[in-house]
Amino acid sequence: MKNFAYVRATSTEDAVQQSQTTQNAQFIAGGTNLVDRLKVFLDRPDRLIDVSRLDLKQIEATKEGGIRIGALATNTAVADHPQIRRDYPLLSRAILSGASQQIRNMATVGGNLLQRTRCPYYYDPVFACNKRQPGSGCPAIPGINRMHAILGASDSCIAVHPSDMCVALAALDAVVEVESTKGRRQIPFNDFHRLPGDAPERDTNLEPGDLITAVILPPVSFAKTGIYLKLRDRASYSFALISVAAAIDLSGESIRDARLALGGVAHKPWRSIEAETFLKGKPATVETFQQAAEIALQGAKPLDHNGFKVNMAKRAIKRALTISAQGGGVA
Amino acid sequence: MNKVIGTAVSRTDGLAKVTGKATYTGEQQIPGLVYGYLVTSAIAKGRIRSISTEAAQKAPGVIAVITHKNAPKVFKPTNNFITSKIYEARLPLSDEQVHYGGQIIGLVVADTFERARDAAQLLQVEYDIETPLVNSAKATYKAANSMFGEEMAFRKGEFSSGTGVTEPATIEATYTTSTELHVPMEPHAIIAHWQEDALTIYEPSQWVAGIQRTYAELFGIPSEKVRIVTPYIGGAFGSKVYPWPHSILCAAVARQIQRPLKVVVSRRQMTANTGHRSETEQTVKLTATKDGKLDAIVHTAKSVTSPVDMFPEPCTNITPVMYAAPNMQVNQTVATLNVGTPTFMRAPGETPGMWAMESAMDELAWKLNLDPVELRLKNETTTHLRKNLPFSSKHFADCLKEGAKRFGWQNRPRQPRTLTRDGKLIGWGMAAATYPALRGNATVKVRLLPDGRVNVLTSANDMGTGTYTLIAIMTAETLGVSVDKVSVEIGDSLFPDGGLAGGSQMTASLAPAVQQACQNLLKSGKFTNTKEAIKELQSSGRAAVEATGSSAPSEEGKNWAFQSWGAHFCEVSIDEEIGRLRVTRWVSVMDIGQVMNAKAAASQIRGGVIMGIGEALMEECVFDPNTGQPVVYDLATYHYPSHADIPRIDVTFVGKPDLTFNPLGARGGGEIGITGVAAAVANAVYHATGKRFRNLPIAPDKLMA
Ligand SMILES: Cc1cc2nc3c(=O)[nH]c(=O)nc-3n(C[C@H](O)[C@H](O)[C@H](O)COP(=O)(O)OP(=O)(O)OC[C@H]3O[C@@H](n4cnc5c(N)ncnc54)[C@H](O)[C@@H]3O)c2cc1C
Ligand code: SF4
Repeated sequence: MKNFAYVRATSTEDAVQQSQTTQNAQFIAGGTNLVDRLKVFLDRPDRLIDVSRLDLKQIEATKEGGIRIGALATNTAVADHPQIRRDYPLLSRAILSGASQQIRNMATVGGNLLQRTRCPYYYDPVFACNKRQPGSGCPAIPGINRMHAILGASDSCIAVHPSDMCVALAALDAVVEVESTKGRRQIPFNDFHRLPGDAPERDTNLEPGDLITAVILPPVSFAKTGIYLKLRDRASYSFALISVAAAIDLSGESIRDARLALGGVAHKPWRSIEAETFLKGKPATVETFQQAAEIALQGAKPLDHNGFKVNMAKRAIKRALTISAQGGGVA
Repeated sequence: MNKVIGTAVSRTDGLAKVTGKATYTGEQQIPGLVYGYLVTSAIAKGRIRSISTEAAQKAPGVIAVITHKNAPKVFKPTNNFITSKIYEARLPLSDEQVHYGGQIIGLVVADTFERARDAAQLLQVEYDIETPLVNSAKATYKAANSMFGEEMAFRKGEFSSGTGVTEPATIEATYTTSTELHVPMEPHAIIAHWQEDALTIYEPSQWVAGIQRTYAELFGIPSEKVRIVTPYIGGAFGSKVYPWPHSILCAAVARQIQRPLKVVVSRRQMTANTGHRSETEQTVKLTATKDGKLDAIVHTAKSVTSPVDMFPEPCTNITPVMYAAPNMQVNQTVATLNVGTPTFMRAPGETPGMWAMESAMDELAWKLNLDPVELRLKNETTTHLRKNLPFSSKHFADCLKEGAKRFGWQNRPRQPRTLTRDGKLIGWGMAAATYPALRGNATVKVRLLPDGRVNVLTSANDMGTGTYTLIAIMTAETLGVSVDKVSVEIGDSLFPDGGLAGGSQMTASLAPAVQQACQNLLKSGKFTNTKEAIKELQSSGRAAVEATGSSAPSEEGKNWAFQSWGAHFCEVSIDEEIGRLRVTRWVSVMDIGQVMNAKAAASQIRGGVIMGIGEALMEECVFDPNTGQPVVYDLATYHYPSHADIPRIDVTFVGKPDLTFNPLGARGGGEIGITGVAAAVANAVYHATGKRFRNLPIAPDKLMA
């Protein structure tokens, strides 16, 4: 670990200013991902700007009937928030399906968005890795890739985004609010994370020094039917093999609107607009859900060890949509 | 005084542990302590062409940079299991060869841990890389001898078809297990402190007296010059008996730099450097009569070892123990891969062995349309078929019957895929458990003080299994004092040799020694009871009465075989479509002789069951096929059960003392709990789904395939 300066930001403006003072400044919030990375030399900041004390913890209703979640609200605070539990149960459940209570108590919303992949090759500098060291190669492609992507991957990286919360946020059409020295801007969730392409070192479209200040959820009338289904190697405390965030708006027997996003399949939370479009106006039957699942997985490119994910994702979609059509609940 | 033995006594070291007062190796404060960081190999096979240490040497706080070029010499120990074993026969940094990924290739010492770690990144290593072999399917196997050098192959009977079996039923199948890691909560750590020619080692060790001899040999000094201190061990499971390469290196470098030196092995480094259980592949062939009498058992087992030591996983130990058959054949082979050295891991041999055998027995029961409990009862053996000795005490049938009763086994439908609940398939499975009963030499010292407190001292140790509490119970029982009057000091070679905590023998070795010491104490002053002794102390003004007591096995092993027995029954619930499995119910009944502490014993069985569920469903260390480095190497990638994976585990004991074995009739309970667990789960999965899983772990992807 090389020495670095540690400063506490006094305000949002201060944080953004501080980030411009050196080449390699990084924000730290809960530290649950960044500290682990520092310990294995994945990140070598020369300045850590502690934003955890900033006044960005509020969770409040918006005029539009949605909710605005401060970037420093803890994962626990968000999951336990009464309005979120009532209006966006899938967000609450997605968060609660991740990590452990202790980690969620420390982890923040902003940090969750920016947690990096859990690809084991990435985390161990004994391996080459294009994400860690651009151009060095991707050993996961000819190696062990059971946990890796089946959608949207490239020849340079097949990593998946590990967040559960972000899968729910993708389904809910969240907007990320960002502040920089140039001012404040909003990024639609789908444009926030990137596919690896030939620049897997970039997970998101943020620019250096961008501070996430909030995540804003628009009102989604049928989000109450939303469910989050996470399939993994043990019952708790492990990352998803496949996860599904789904919600269905029924009008009688037919589907008025739907949301569908997948985790564990791609370099970003994978919203399937095609499947959603297909679902609209169709009868809420198992056959419809099956077809939606096929559409969502069209173009899937399984690797040596993750072929099962295609089938698992389809079945999980079918299951999630079925439960949502019955009014939601725990999957 | 009420009987203390067999009651449920909470661990006496519990408060110290939960309040942080229990000092583990890494927490020992030694003035002048410096810190070593291990440098490990980035390749899995080849040689170090060059290693440049200049930058590291110049880094702030750096005291020494050690590589194979300047490694301090130590003597090669005789490396015998009984006297002075080291886990890995190749001494650390002995040459430029690299045999497995993550092998130790250097040590950087600095005044702080962070500086040592930082400087370790500055080493520049160039390698001549060879293609490593980590795929056992491509390996060459050869006949294996046991870790004690004995032949493992064994054959009895004629295998002639004329044994009177008409219409024999045969099953033959191959079962595999994955590479498993011990992952004790406390990572491996050591502090070596030389004062002139005397060495003090702080290190979690399952065998204080054993490693005292090993370190003495390594450095060519008398045992009396070596002190081992290991008051607390945060789990070991077989991985903390002998010195590993990092231990030897730490002690050698500490001598060279004349400073107390600490080395902590990181979780990642532990994957290569502190042992694991080898993957295994076993084929079991069972032939039986129509009504389920076994005629022949053929059991072959393969495991892998490292290029630098030989450790075959002794899967076939269980074959001549479990079931009677006139014809029996076992074979074991081993191959060398470029992986770290495997070692004992909780019930070495028995765990994979019982996975295969108990799965095969289940398959046979289905084939014969027999109840699997009945099939086992039918084939019970009263003798050890290799040793040709009768078992001293065997209540296996009671375990099966009691377990079946507690579980409600009689209601089990005889068809797979018939039980359902909440839209999920339900399956019931059972399997037997077994583990040999071992016993070694042990000595303890007991001191009675005038205020009625009793102090017990021995070098025995507690890996979390409950030795502190056991000693307190045994002392309280024998002297008629309450448990809270007994203070126990263990894990220090200055105390009398309390023996080895391995092979489930700590309790069996130690309890009779404590009893003996207490009896000797009373005898020494001709006291009829402790009260009288205290009175005498108070009136005479003496500080203490003390006595030592020893215990050791005698000739009984010539006439008897000693073995523990058990049965597991479990229920699984399977959401087949999405590959989600939960173990929902568990019943274990164990025959481990006299139970000394009902609470600790049940906890040991539960711990074993949990570890077995991990083996069955999720534990798997995987190596990158191209570089040979593990891609499963920490607590995020190596899954073992979380609380949510574990149901209530109902544990009962038969409780009949085995007095042929030792004076208390107590056999050990540390390992038997894990044996048979994976088979019980897989057997339940078969009952639920009609699908036979023969390759562990039964992960979600396999389950829904
Ligand atoms: C053992 C373990 C298991 C886990 N399991 C799961 C799981 O199952 N599912 C899941 O979804 N997650 C899981 N997590 C991840 C966890 O959710 C994240 O580590 C956490 O959300 C990160 O939040 P943080 O505040 O601690 O971020 P930090 O570690 O503080 O920061 C992470 C990154 O975000 C940047 N950052 C933080 N805040 C801001 C901001 N406001 N603006 C700009 N940049 C910022 C930092 O610079 C850093 O690069 C697990 C983590 C651990 C350690
Ligand atoms: S998948 Fe991506 S993160 Fe993993 S090794 Fe390849 S480049 Fe690195």
